Order: sequence, then structure tokens, then C-alpha cells
Amino acid sequence: MITYAARTAAGVGLGALTTLAELPYVLLGTPLLAVPTPRRAVLRGARVLAEVERARLQRFLDAPNGDDYDGRRALQYLALRALVGLLALGVWACVGAGVLVAVFYARQLVTGRAPGGQGAGTVAGWLLITLLAAIAAYLCAQGIAGVATLDRRLARRFLGPSHRDLLVRRVSHLATSRAQVVEAVNEERRRIERDLHDGVQQRLVALGLLLGRARRTDDPDLVRQAHEQSQEALRELRDVAWRVYPIALDESGLDAALESLAERAALPVELRYEPAEPLPPALATVVYFVASESVTNATKHAGATRVTIEVRRADNGRNVVVEIADDGHGGARIGGTGGFAGLVRRVAAADGEFTVNSPDGGPTVVRAVLPCD
Amino acid sequence: MRLILAEDSTLLREGLLRLLAEEGHDVVAAVGDGEALLAAAEVHRPDVVVTDVRMPPTHTDEGVRAAVRIRENWPEIGVLVLSQYVEKRYAAKLIGGDGGRVGYLLKDRVAQVGEFLDALERVAEGGAAFDPEVVRRLVARTSHEDALGKLSPRERGVLEKMAQGHTNAGIAELLYISQSAVEKHVNAIFDKLDLPQAAGYSRRVLAVLRYLGS
Repeated sequence: MITYAARTAAGVGLGALTTLAELPYVLLGTPLLAVPTPRRAVLRGARVLAEVERARLQRFLDAPNGDDYDGRRALQYLALRALVGLLALGVWACVGAGVLVAVFYARQLVTGRAPGGQGAGTVAGWLLITLLAAIAAYLCAQGIAGVATLDRRLARRFLGPSHRDLLVRRVSHLATSRAQVVEAVNEERRRIERDLHDGVQQRLVALGLLLGRARRTDDPDLVRQAHEQSQEALRELRDVAWRVYPIALDESGLDAALESLAERAALPVELRYEPAEPLPPALATVVYFVASESVTNATKHAGATRVTIEVRRADNGRNVVVEIADDGHGGARIGGTGGFAGLVRRVAAADGEFTVNSPDGGPTVVRAVLPCD
Repeated sequence: MRLILAEDSTLLREGLLRLLAEEGHDVVAAVGDGEALLAAAEVHRPDVVVTDVRMPPTHTDEGVRAAVRIRENWPEIGVLVLSQYVEKRYAAKLIGGDGGRVGYLLKDRVAQVGEFLDALERVAEGGAAFDPEVVRRLVARTSHEDALGKLSPRERGVLEKMAQGHTNAGIAELLYISQSAVEKHVNAIFDKLDLPQAAGYSRRVLAVLRYLGS
């Protein structure tokens, strides 16, 4: 509380000082806009000053704003901001005056004289003075707080994104992520189609081929091979079906599905699953696919020997974090095709954040933070 | 005969290699993508190349593109394409030459070992071999058209076999009728379909197929 008040007061004080630069700048710079040559320099300078203000507001008044504005808007801001600065100057002048008066009265009190007179001071007189001092101090504090609020609002109005901008941004984000979801689904379908053709169908054709040869040659060994091949084809089919949609997700929940994923993986997978409450089904699906895709990547491309999957709630249960770490040689990138691109889209569609931290030489940590409300 | 095999699935490649070796064919090269197929064809000049359609890097139509290139560069090499699907575009691309020495089979047909080897022989001899499924699709697709509607069921059966690239003798054997009966049907078909009679049976197949696929 104390530090907050001190920071606010300091911030407003600094603001009072910056206005000494801003006011002349605005007064001299604005007429120069009519002249083409220095126009750009004026606008650039305005941006620099506005950036100084932005830093001050962020540092002292806890008001972060975007830097998404141009020089013209910066100049408009500075014109109004200079007025607020003058107000800050006024408030600080009052504070200064108050301090001087307080010092004067303290001397009177110490020397035992009446507050403002030559005679001896009375208790009633001093009580009245104390009361007035308290009111004055309160007004000064209110003044500082008021100027700080004005400062924040002005900056938000000119430098920060407006409410409408935020809505526009949100809508365009939603449109993008919707398109990406469709794309991600199509990509998955393509992959399923490829899995069926390049895996299951090839095996079945090869099986038919073996049986065809067996019939032509009557070689019992070919029949044995064909039998093995049919087992392989079945295994492959099961795997593909599982990759399409792990039915365990619906039947026994995310932790069971992840356990099953860990069992099926080609390398040792350690699972740490914390959430006691079951997650919403849509969210569980995203978490599952993030985990399964990352494990696949670790197995196929990273040359990892072990993987850990961790699922936990964070930020007082507002978010779910899924983290997959492997000890492979790293170098995984989100860009391009491959599994990560699909995951980025899936996670974005759930309003989550997806990061891959994978320096060359490893280790790789894939992390998705998903809001759950 | 001397063969080149292009197939990206190792499992299937091995199986086909074994089968062809058992049948006494000489597989001079076995490759896994379109580029390698072209290179091998240039070096070895085999009698026939057998190629899968979908191969690395893009898994779309590498095999067909390589096959078309081979048809352009070395017409004496026969081409037998194995496809996952009936793709009319691909079939059309292959037929697009002067005809003959081409085959287009569904991949699954490989499991019908006899049919597969038979198709291979036909292509090597300068004929054509189209998958019954391809033909059936084309015939079914155009069956509502007047010209085909004029054919009797028997003629339609003969046309189907013809389109698959069988000779008259072969059709006679398959349909259990005499060869002269087949010839009669064939002539009737040409009359009804308004097609000039061609000399080589492969060209006649292609004419029919072109008509059906048009």
C-alpha cells in the first residue's frame, strides 16, 4: 500500500516534469506540421516523447499500453497530456506549499509559540491546525490519485487499443482460428487416408500376394508368412483406428487415454497427471492430441530415450497445462507441415498458447496452456 | 522378361520381387520413387516398368508422371501402373499416347496373382491391360448414353473384356463362346458405336476406352 502510494506519487511527479518538455514541443511542433520538410521529424519526436510517457505509465502507474500508434496520434496525445501534466504540476505545487507550511508550524510548535502568532499556543488552536493539515493532506493525495487516473485514461484512449479495436482483433482472431481448425481437421483426414493406404492397404495387398504365391507353389512356408502378415495387418488397423480417435477418451477419461498412450509408445513414457476433476471433453481431446503428437515426434525425430508427460492445473484452476519433455537431440520447429502445425491450430482454436522449446542438442519441451472455464 | 519395379512400400516391393523371380522374370532394378524410376529406365531400358502411383516425396501422382515421361522418351518400354484408386485422369493420361504397351491396374489386383501376371504379359507383348474395375466404372458411367444402350448384354460383356485388353481368343475362352462368335460381336459393337475398325487389338481397346471415357 505504502509503496504503491509512493510509486503513484513519484509517477505523477515525473509526469509534472515531463510536461515541461512536452508543452513547448507541442506549441512549437504543431505549427511546423504545415511545413513538409520537418513534418516527419516532428512526428518522430512526438513518438519518442509518447514512448517516454508510456514507459513512465508502465513503470510507476501500472498501466501498460500498446505501441501501436503513429506520430500524428502521439502528437494529439501529447497536447492533452501536457495539460494533465500542468495539473500534476499544480498538485505538486500544493504539496510543496503544504510541506513548507508544515515545516513552519513544526518550528512554532517546537519553540512553544502559537500557530501563526507570537503568544503561547493553546491545545485547541493546535487541534484545529492539525485538523486543517489532515484535510489538506487528504486533498493533495486525492489530487495525485486523480491526476494518475486521468493520465492512465488518456494514455489508454490514445495509445492503447480501443474497445472497438479489441473486438475487431478478437473477431479476426476467431475467424483465423476457425479457418485453421477446418484446415487442421482436413490435414488429419489426409493423414488418416495416408495411414490407411500406406499402412493397412499395403499390408493386405502383400498378404494377398503371399497367398497367391502360396497357391501357385504349394509352399507351406508362404502360408506361415501369410498368417503372420495377417496378424501384422490387424495390428496396423488397430493402431490406425486408435490414432483416428482414442475411444478410451470417452469411456474412461483423459488420464486413462494418456496411460494407454504411454503403454503403446515405443519408448518409456512417464506420466504425471494431476487434475482431480475431469476436464471438459473438448479440452481433454486437445490435451490428448498434443501429448500423442509430441510423443510421436520424440520417437520418430528426436532420437529420445525417454519422455515425460505432465498434465496439471495452473493459475487457480483457470488453466490446464500439458507439458511433454524428452531427452532427444532437440531442433524441433513449429514451422512448416508436420505434427506441430496441426497442434498449433488445435490449441489456438481452444484459445490456448502453444510453445515448443527445443534448442539444438535438446532437450525438447512442448507446452500447451489451455483455458478451462 | 526384364522388369523395373517402382514401389515405395518395402513390404510390397519385396513380395513382388519374389513373385516375379518365381515366375522367371528378371527384375533389373527395384526403386522407391519417381526420379529413381526414370533414372533406372534410362540405364536399363527394360521390357516393362511396373510402378505404384503414390510415391515420395509428395505421395500424389509421381508414378503416373514418371510413366508418362517414360512413354514419351522410350515408347518401346511397356508401362504397368498400379493405383490405389480408379483415377480416370491417370488412365486418360496413359492412354493419351499412340496406345499399346500400357496397363492400369488397381493395386489390390496384385493379390490376384494370375490376373496380375497376365496383365504384365499383355503389356510386354505390346497390348493393353485395364483393370476390370476401371472398365466397369467407365461402362457404368456411360451406360445411360444411347450408343451403349444399343448393345445387347452379351455385346456389353464382350466390350468389357475387350476394354480390359483381352484378345478375341482370350475373350472366347473367358466367355465360353467360339472365337468367330466373338468376332461377330466385336464387329457389331463397332458398328453400333460408330468406330472404324482398327488393325491392332490394343488400339481398338484404346478407341473403345477413349469413347467410354470421353
